[in-house]
Amino acid sequence: MRIMNPFVHLVARMPARVQSKLLAAFLAIVMLLIIVGAVGLQVLSGVNERTEELIKLQRKIEAYRQVQHDTTSQLYSVSTALLFADDQSLSGTLRQLNQFGYDVDRLEFVARDEVELIEQFRQNYNRFINVVTRVIELIRGGRTAEARQMQLREATPLANQLERLTNQLVNKAEADMVSGIEASTQSYGTAQWIVVAFALGSIALALGLGYAISWSLVGPVKEIEKRLNQVAAGDFAQRVAVVNRDELGALATNVNRMCEELGRLYQQLELVSKHKSQFLANMSHELRTPLNAILGYTELMADGAYGEPSEKMLGILKRLEANGKHLLGLINDVLDLSKIEAGQLVLELSDYCVQDIAQTVRSTLEPLAADKKLGFKVEVAPQLPSGRGDGRRLTQVLINLVGNAIKFTDAGEIAIKAEANNGAFRVSVRDTGPGISAADQAKLFQEFQQADNAITRKKGGTGLGLAISKRIIEMHGGRIWVESQVGRGSTFAFTLPVIVERQVEPA
Amino acid sequence: MSKRILVMEDEKDNRQIIRDMLGGIDCEITEAEDAQQALAAIAKERPDLILMGIHLPIMNGYTVTRQIKANPALRSIPVIAITSHALNGEEHVARAAGCDDYVPEPYSPRYLLAKIRQYLLQ
Repeated sequence: MRIMNPFVHLVARMPARVQSKLLAAFLAIVMLLIIVGAVGLQVLSGVNERTEELIKLQRKIEAYRQVQHDTTSQLYSVSTALLFADDQSLSGTLRQLNQFGYDVDRLEFVARDEVELIEQFRQNYNRFINVVTRVIELIRGGRTAEARQMQLREATPLANQLERLTNQLVNKAEADMVSGIEASTQSYGTAQWIVVAFALGSIALALGLGYAISWSLVGPVKEIEKRLNQVAAGDFAQRVAVVNRDELGALATNVNRMCEELGRLYQQLELVSKHKSQFLANMSHELRTPLNAILGYTELMADGAYGEPSEKMLGILKRLEANGKHLLGLINDVLDLSKIEAGQLVLELSDYCVQDIAQTVRSTLEPLAADKKLGFKVEVAPQLPSGRGDGRRLTQVLINLVGNAIKFTDAGEIAIKAEANNGAFRVSVRDTGPGISAADQAKLFQEFQQADNAITRKKGGTGLGLAISKRIIEMHGGRIWVESQVGRGSTFAFTLPVIVERQVEPA
Repeated sequence: MSKRILVMEDEKDNRQIIRDMLGGIDCEITEAEDAQQALAAIAKERPDLILMGIHLPIMNGYTVTRQIKANPALRSIPVIAITSHALNGEEHVARAAGCDDYVPEPYSPRYLLAKIRQYLLQ
């Protein structure tokens, strides 16, 4: 794989479109196939040619042998004619003469390349035929003795000469045949190797091209995918290293630009968020200082530090204090929510006792309930296990729920109930208030939502309490919800693990 | 013998409130508007209790507290931190700086007075 990397790199660096690269690769492979085919055809036609040569040689040899046979037969038929001198043997000799002529023509045709030997053969043949013709004429003329003389003196040596010549031709043809067969075997072997080598080369090149092309495409895609995963995980710092000079290279460049832009925006956002949190923290501090003076003077006046206040004055001072504390509640809520949003609210985990929390809530809020002549019931199951979590924040949640219940209930009672089940606390606050419609229930736990904005103005509150409570309960790994019907009161309840060892990050 | 209380606080109203709050008990109040005045007054008068405003410009209350607690002669003077930073963990910061107690603003004068009485009785 590593060996191929420079090749992959080369393909990637080619300044051409992906389409063109693919087309070029396919064309290269097709060209190779054509070359393999052509080489195969070439080899086949070579083999064919050699076979034809051999057949030609075979036919030559046959023709030579035929002529040899004809020569002997001619001598033999003349001898027979000499012996019997009848018409039958003479016509046999003539037939043989005809056959011989025909065979010599054939020989001249198949062995036309053996110019010199054939010429010699033709001359000797002509002389032999002349002699034989004269011998036949002599026999016909009854001059048998003369004919025999001519036969022995002229025809036989000529026949021998002809036989020598054909033997030469046969030998030559046989030698040609042997060398032809040898050459054919050799060239066949070579051709085999050439075809196999070309085929293997084509396969290797096709695989190599396929590998290089596919990796020059898949590599960058994988790289970009990895990068986008990092971005999804919030890491904008990395860059995609893609060397391609094609569409994928352009894509990688754009991904990098996008990441840079996202990273820049993210940094800006973080900075803005930090500034916002800092601003809210400062604001909260700045607001608390004058509020301290307002609440401090009010309390001192009520306590008679500046002379005994009248009954009417005491009432006004109480209103002043209540409003100041409400303002403080608003400041705290806004600060809490901004901290939650900035992820800066950290639970302080320690051991707490549900009974204590319920008691704190009771002592804080029972007077308020009593003012409205509402019943106040606290039902904590006996022997609840000691919990682990942020007791202060849980107290804040319960105060919020009970405070809301008192705020919205005009008659009846408020009941706090706490129990433990399967390693989880379940705490509920039931009231006999007006109840909440299903549509409003859905919005209750969102920021700045109260069931009825008119009520908000009448009853006070930021509408942040439930949103904050929800986040605090969720940070404990718990759940908070409401069950209510219009006209039948409401029950707000939450569950959370008895032991919380680690803060749950918001989803 | 009346107790001496040092108040380090840059807000005029807050000093006034503390003064009015302490009007009912027998004590001498020394007011300091910044760390320099406070350190000078502490060295001179050796108060019985220090009410330490934390968020002061130049040198804050925690730095002053650390200096006091680093001085063997002054270490035993109780210091109550008064801070308007109500962030999580602010109490830890106050304790770590050596403050004996911590009161977040806005505080109830009644509540602060109770704490002061408690320290003065010790």
